[in-house]
Amino acid sequence: MTEPRLLQNFSGGRAIVVTDRASSLDVLTTALDRLGVTTNPVDIVGSIAAIDLATLQPDRSIVFIDGDISDGAVLPLSTIGRLPPAPVIGLLGVSAPSRLKALMKAGATSFLRKPVHVAAVYPALFVGVNEYRHRRHLERLLEDQERRRRSRRDVVKAIIRTMSEYGIDDDEAYDLLRRRSMRTRQTLEDLCKDLARSSDRQEDGECVLRRKLAD
Amino acid sequence: MPEMAPPNLQSVSNGTVSPGPQAVGLLRWVEFMGLQDLQVGYLFSSTGSYELVARSMLNGALLAAEEINASGLGIRFEPSVLNPGGDLSQYSALAAKLLERNIRHVVGCYTSSSRKEVIPLFEKHDALLWYPSHYEGFESSTNVIYTGAAPNQHVLPLVEYLLAHHGHRAFCVGSNYIWAWENNRILRESVSARQGSVLAERYFAVGETDFRQAIEAIIEARPSFVFLTLIGTSAYQFFRDFRTACRARGIDQAREIPVASCSLSEPELQAIGEDAVDGHLSSSVYFCSIETPANLRFLKAYELRFPEGPIASADAEASYNAVWLLALGVAAAGTDEPIAVKEELIRQHLDAPQGAVWIDEQTFHAYLTPRIGRSNRNARFDLVSEARAPVQPDPYLVHNSARFEAAGVPSLRLVS
Repeated sequence: MTEPRLLQNFSGGRAIVVTDRASSLDVLTTALDRLGVTTNPVDIVGSIAAIDLATLQPDRSIVFIDGDISDGAVLPLSTIGRLPPAPVIGLLGVSAPSRLKALMKAGATSFLRKPVHVAAVYPALFVGVNEYRHRRHLERLLEDQERRRRSRRDVVKAIIRTMSEYGIDDDEAYDLLRRRSMRTRQTLEDLCKDLARSSDRQEDGECVLRRKLAD
Repeated sequence: MPEMAPPNLQSVSNGTVSPGPQAVGLLRWVEFMGLQDLQVGYLFSSTGSYELVARSMLNGALLAAEEINASGLGIRFEPSVLNPGGDLSQYSALAAKLLERNIRHVVGCYTSSSRKEVIPLFEKHDALLWYPSHYEGFESSTNVIYTGAAPNQHVLPLVEYLLAHHGHRAFCVGSNYIWAWENNRILRESVSARQGSVLAERYFAVGETDFRQAIEAIIEARPSFVFLTLIGTSAYQFFRDFRTACRARGIDQAREIPVASCSLSEPELQAIGEDAVDGHLSSSVYFCSIETPANLRFLKAYELRFPEGPIASADAEASYNAVWLLALGVAAAGTDEPIAVKEELIRQHLDAPQGAVWIDEQTFHAYLTPRIGRSNRNARFDLVSEARAPVQPDPYLVHNSARFEAAGVPSLRLVS
């Protein structure tokens, strides 16, 4: 799984700002506008609960959450990585631990100190969005590893059957399966699962195994 | 002082020449009088490793002030000139000195590191820095007006030109600071997108003059071109040594391994010396060889005023434009208060030596006309490429770069 490339141009992005002080957003919206990120009036909301989750796109949306708001609402987070549906950048007024913790729990991957300084917006976007993408990548890696872990039983089964069928040791059996998986452009786990299921379904499982492993 | 004609002035909403005091009310009269001895700071390193360019910038700024004072615009500038001597720590000390004297407009800085050094002071004092040099972009301070080229106005056009006319194998040599790092990043992105390659990036301290190893490496690698981001004396020495080394090996350097730069200007060509002056590519929004009435007028006035040199350059023109734009903004606003000046500035158009110049209201960078020149034996540039019209500044390359950084070359191995 390839490491995601850094996002460096935010043009085409959409900002959603959660704040109860919409009147003090001029610097932020002007800076975002310069970077090609639009902030529509309907996307400036007073509560996280007011965000239309169905419209959030992880690759285009950027959510700014004012840390001084505490309405109890939270964005839904993914199971493994605890990631929100789109990158979150915290707007920090009070830098007390409780506020920082709340923003971190909301999934913030970078922060902007209030009052917002125009020169700080691009770095905050760059770090926040790319850190989010990196974490999403790690989350997918973890999911993939978890899926592979669940397939261990099929791999063991396939190795034992291959050893038995070909009269070879476990290293050679693993190597045979691995080469076959690369040729068929499958993961080893998927190939083994396929073999195990085919063998389980048919009485002449060993013949199936030979046919499937044949070059 | 020779008699000088100011640039042709245009204004979208206002006349640019202030009305006479007899025609206005008392308040206007007081404001008018306040604009008669307007202190403007000039912060240029007229000594140090990049003094040549900085002196030409100072000359451009001084010329503009003298023209403005003689123009009947209703403004008199009194420049306070300070010289940080190329020493980074001196920039903030001297800028503070100017700002503490309640000077609200300072024209100056050449390197990005010096600009970044002083910006916090301008923010603290609610003053404006008029930055008259091309730079690498990715900045948009509310307290800076940028009259030099943004990267889409000089870096990208040069990269496009090099890839179209000279090949896809680049060798980068630069001074070790943000200007070189960022330019090389932009080059690398463009080259990678075309399946070309950056053979090497070599960085040297500002002022370094020993390039023997780098030159050997270049000749060994035989790139399509050298992308040079050295500045000042480092660059001049490199040009001389590279030409000499190529000549010793029977290589026609200008034809076979051309050197391209986004900062090479006419005063620097003179400093390189006649033995190695020709055949270098430079990307800029201004060259002395532009044949417009405004430029001929500018050059004539400049040469009369500064016969001892250094001759005019892109940065001299950007400084000249900065002071003129400041004057137009102040005249239209009727005050030197920075917010009011910025509000009026975006409505001003200047018939500058390079052509029409105006300020983009979103980024406060200038609309400028990109050009590429090749140096000749007379220490001037022959134009080889020119944009048809002024180009909108894009300091963050929002409209001119890929969404994602260029992918590195994957390292693949044969698995079966």
